[in-house]
Amino acid sequence: MIEVRDLVKIFHARGHVVRAVDGVSTHVARGEVVVVIGPSGSGKSTFLRCLNGLETFDEGHVVIDGMDLADKKTDINLVRREVGMVFQQFNLFPHKTVLDNICLAQEVVRKRSRQEAEAKARQLLAKVGIAEKESEYPSRLSGGQQQRVAIARALAMDPKVMLFDEPTSALDPEMVGEVLDVMKQLAREGMTMVVVTHEMGFAREVADRVLFMDEGKIVEEGPPDKLFSAPEHDRTKLFLSQVL
Amino acid sequence: MKQKTPTWPWTLLLGLILLTVAGGIWWATKRVDYTWRWNRVPQYFVYRAELVEHAPADGRVVEVRTDGDDAVVVFESDTGERTEIRVDVGTVQVSEGEDLFEGDPVGARFRWRVGPLTKGLWTTLWISFFSGVLGLVLGLVAGLARVSKNPTLRGLAILYVELIRGTPLLVQIFIFYFFIGTVLNLDRIVAGILALAIFAGAYTAEIVRAGIQSIPRGQMEAARSLGMTLPQAMRYIILPQAFKRILPPLAGQFISLIKDSSLVSVIAITDLTKSGREVITSTFATFEIWFTVAALYLLITSLLSQVILWMERRLAVSD
Ligand SMILES: Nc1ncnc2c1ncn2[C@@H]1O[C@H](COP(=O)(O)OP(=O)(O)O)[C@@H](O)[C@H]1O
Ligand SMILES: [Mg+2]
Repeated sequence: MIEVRDLVKIFHARGHVVRAVDGVSTHVARGEVVVVIGPSGSGKSTFLRCLNGLETFDEGHVVIDGMDLADKKTDINLVRREVGMVFQQFNLFPHKTVLDNICLAQEVVRKRSRQEAEAKARQLLAKVGIAEKESEYPSRLSGGQQQRVAIARALAMDPKVMLFDEPTSALDPEMVGEVLDVMKQLAREGMTMVVVTHEMGFAREVADRVLFMDEGKIVEEGPPDKLFSAPEHDRTKLFLSQVL
Repeated sequence: MKQKTPTWPWTLLLGLILLTVAGGIWWATKRVDYTWRWNRVPQYFVYRAELVEHAPADGRVVEVRTDGDDAVVVFESDTGERTEIRVDVGTVQVSEGEDLFEGDPVGARFRWRVGPLTKGLWTTLWISFFSGVLGLVLGLVAGLARVSKNPTLRGLAILYVELIRGTPLLVQIFIFYFFIGTVLNLDRIVAGILALAIFAGAYTAEIVRAGIQSIPRGQMEAARSLGMTLPQAMRYIILPQAFKRILPPLAGQFISLIKDSSLVSVIAITDLTKSGREVITSTFATFEIWFTVAALYLLITSLLSQVILWMERRLAVSD
């Protein structure tokens, strides 16, 4: 489903050269749930954003469902409608109601009729448990509710892959659970997911594989049981001792 | 902390200051021996024009009768053609059986006519409106070019904005009228509107740029991650939000434009300012007319401010 080969992303910031992603290769199979962990600034977000072309990369290949992002002829908008993304800061459209947030891209990008889009939106709102909020504006919702709307908005495009960039990091602790529950349900339904998170409990429960990143590289990867209980590298051990 | 200072002393002070200013003006005009003639002003807004009706040919008055507020004079020319001439009752200058020569006055009608100040005000309004709309379009295009990734577009937009903002509007109007207007054979009104639009467009471009850049990056990223193209994201996500934020500065810009439009009077466009000047040459009510003109500008701009305030409140529902 996702094939990443020798991915390199370099930032030039104020004379510094930052190799944010430095030679990452990995493969995510259909229906697989991959959790990416690592210290702040290790390149997790940048890696994730390269997967849907929000960040252009300098070297390597990212192939999504057979479409190579490194190929200039690939229409990035076609790729993106197959790849849903959920952001740390929700990024809901503040000038649109919850329902319109979920309908807009369906109508504009997928060319669905308003009725079709609304039906889909209502079904997804029920799924994430906030059917009653459809005509509210995002600013009236709690963080947890906003993030669930954001998930519904991404799902409305019927993506083949969902990317999550620290979806619970901006939430008050009591709201983390409701968002993780939605994500767990998605994982159970067989969605292909790449999740950057600090929620080790979530990783343990639903991840098929955990990637540990540091300084732009995948230092270690493996099933959660193995990686959490018997990490091989010192850096992984150090990081886990700090977060667990 | 609980503190409650009474506001009435300050209100009183404000009143005192205003009274002093008014007194000062009164005293100053007293010193230059100016006689205020405010009663002369209204006729430059509307007046009753007298339209004299004349006999269409040599002939004779057959009949004079009244019909409501009109008097009807039935006139028969020497060749036997009958015409009915309607005039206001009380202005009839002929009687039945009287012989008339072509061009003799029969009577008159009084009609309300708009005066030069009303016409000037109207001209100012529509010139401002058209240059404002055109300026908005220009500003939107230039503002989008300004934030585009294409260096050519960006360069052009920067050049446009810097060129216009770095030179006085009066000079731009002259250049437009005498140079571009001559080369392209433009009407003075068109030249004036274009000059104002291009001027307003440059400032609007900066407002639009600032508005677009004030929208958090995450909004564009969310839109693009859903598969929207850049134009779609701009149209549905960025611009509607930016518009809400730029409405106040945009309104301020439009209010400035109304005031700046007074400069087109230098290329002989009879706007409010030019009308004021013309009226002064035929009366000697210099002070009254200038105060009236100022009050009219103030009236339009403050009405506009109210409209904008209302729109802002309407748009604020989602915040
Ligand atoms: N737009 C950018 N410009 C310059 N440097 C960036 C940019 N985005 C990220 N970086 C740098 O790239 C590195 C990786 O960042 P990021 O992917 O956000 O890490 P993480 O998500 O793991 O915290 C950091 O050193 C960060 O400073
Ligand atoms: Mg990050």
